[in-house]
Amino acid sequence: MMGTIPIIVNQTIAGAFVALIWLFIPCMAIAQDAASSPPSADYVSRAEYDKLKAEHEAMKEEVAALRKAVQLMANGTVPAIPAEGPTRTTAPSEGKQVVSTTSSQAATDELRQEVETLKTRVKETFPGTTKFLVAGYGTAGFTARSGEDPFFTAAFNPIFLWKLSERLFFEAEIELQLEGVNTTVALEMAQASYLLNDYMTIGVGKFLNPTDYFVERQHMNWVNKFPDKPLAVYDGLMPETEVGAQLRGVIPIGPTKLEYAAFVANATDLNTTPDDTLGTLSFDNFNNRGGHVMVGGHVGFIPIPELEVGYGIQRSKVGPRDDAVQAILQSVELNYVKDSTFLKGLINARAQWVWSHVGHLIYDMDETGVPGSFTFNNNRNGGYAQLSYRPTHIDNDVIKNFEPVVRYDRFNQLHTPVGFDEERWSFGLDYWLTPSTVIKAAYELDEKNGSGRDQNAFMLQVAVGF
Amino acid sequence: MKKIASKICRWIGLPGAVIIIPSVALTVTWLIGCADNKQSGEVAAGTTGKSGAELWADNCVRCHNIRSPSNYSPAQWEVIMMHMRVRANLTPEEHKKILEFLKAGT
Repeated sequence: MMGTIPIIVNQTIAGAFVALIWLFIPCMAIAQDAASSPPSADYVSRAEYDKLKAEHEAMKEEVAALRKAVQLMANGTVPAIPAEGPTRTTAPSEGKQVVSTTSSQAATDELRQEVETLKTRVKETFPGTTKFLVAGYGTAGFTARSGEDPFFTAAFNPIFLWKLSERLFFEAEIELQLEGVNTTVALEMAQASYLLNDYMTIGVGKFLNPTDYFVERQHMNWVNKFPDKPLAVYDGLMPETEVGAQLRGVIPIGPTKLEYAAFVANATDLNTTPDDTLGTLSFDNFNNRGGHVMVGGHVGFIPIPELEVGYGIQRSKVGPRDDAVQAILQSVELNYVKDSTFLKGLINARAQWVWSHVGHLIYDMDETGVPGSFTFNNNRNGGYAQLSYRPTHIDNDVIKNFEPVVRYDRFNQLHTPVGFDEERWSFGLDYWLTPSTVIKAAYELDEKNGSGRDQNAFMLQVAVGF
Repeated sequence: MKKIASKICRWIGLPGAVIIIPSVALTVTWLIGCADNKQSGEVAAGTTGKSGAELWADNCVRCHNIRSPSNYSPAQWEVIMMHMRVRANLTPEEHKKILEFLKAGT
């Protein structure tokens, strides 16, 4: 019995030993593989680990450098980019791996491009400055017109601008104005514009009338040099805005430019109420009463930078659908702005004249629905000429900000139910606090022939553009 | 062609026709010329060679007092210049050069 136990023990130990050897053989094989052969998908060698670690450290340094560069650019400082890329060196304790990269010029350019891209992206994250901007103007004024109670007034015109992409743009203007006991709110403009190509833009919505130069370029209170607007040209014979679509652009011809605009829009409406507005055009025809379409266009030519001349025309049928007549509105303008060293200042000369023709219509003066017998020659015209001078080259900080201005206005409509022609001479003095902030004072000599009453006026206005 | 011109004259009146017909003819001629230039790889017309500062002075003052570049940030100028490109009919060259000038001066 005792003899058999050691044998069993020895057999057991031997068995265990053999089992251990069998277990060790694959492990040794794996270890040999790891040391001498390529790694499997699941394991890395020490050498690979060291290499990866070194690369990781180098990348961390590079990212830190880039972050620093972006931070500097966000602060408005342009970091100096070395002519040659940084030498990335890691010195692992083993001293076996050293990653050293000398960038080529191409790599530098690539890095510069990458930094520029990052800079742009960082700036695009600034709220309220990149794609959206509120501009506009505010106005406060005082008017004392003979035969009327003097009054103060105020208005605020915020303009919202969105640059949605390099080609798509949206702008809208709201006018908040005191009127009687109320504050009126009006959507002056709401237009989406898309740049079809370098020389052609399509716009849809409610836009300033491209036919009327004063309306499109000069009516803003911080731009207009008088507290009021010229007769006939503004709120007179032509619409201020159109609701529809326009195609516009510019064609450079050597050093000169040819501007163009063409549009389709809701037609104007014809006033048939038997009072002094009979036969005038109503421009705020937003529901397009009558169902007609207005088409029009404008061409402007800039032969030299100081001079611009233009012509605009728009045409539509107006009046009742079954008894409509043609309305043709035309405008010519001339603008000359010259910074003269000889005259030591800025000369600003502008003129515009408009014509309105409405076809022959027999009006129903009794409003009975039965065709009437009253008719008249419905042709009107009017315009303005304006001259101003600002001594910008004079070395006196007060005098150089004054700008005297004179304007002549005329509105001819004597042979219409309005019953008078109107002529005005306006004399004004502006003082510019900033390029877009102005204090204006003006006196108007008004003369009406026919049934009208002369109304001279004194006006003050402060306008702030922002 | 004569019939079409006569119809246009009747439609818009003689003064309009005198302006519009030559303008359209000029535009069509220019567009064709432009297309030819692009095909042959030439530079498009209208390269004035003026600097951004000159173009800024030429174009802005035609309507209003010029504002200092420091009035707005570069990002704000981008929005404003797109607005002005449409409103004031600026050419791409004018738009680019004026914008670069304004952004550099902020």
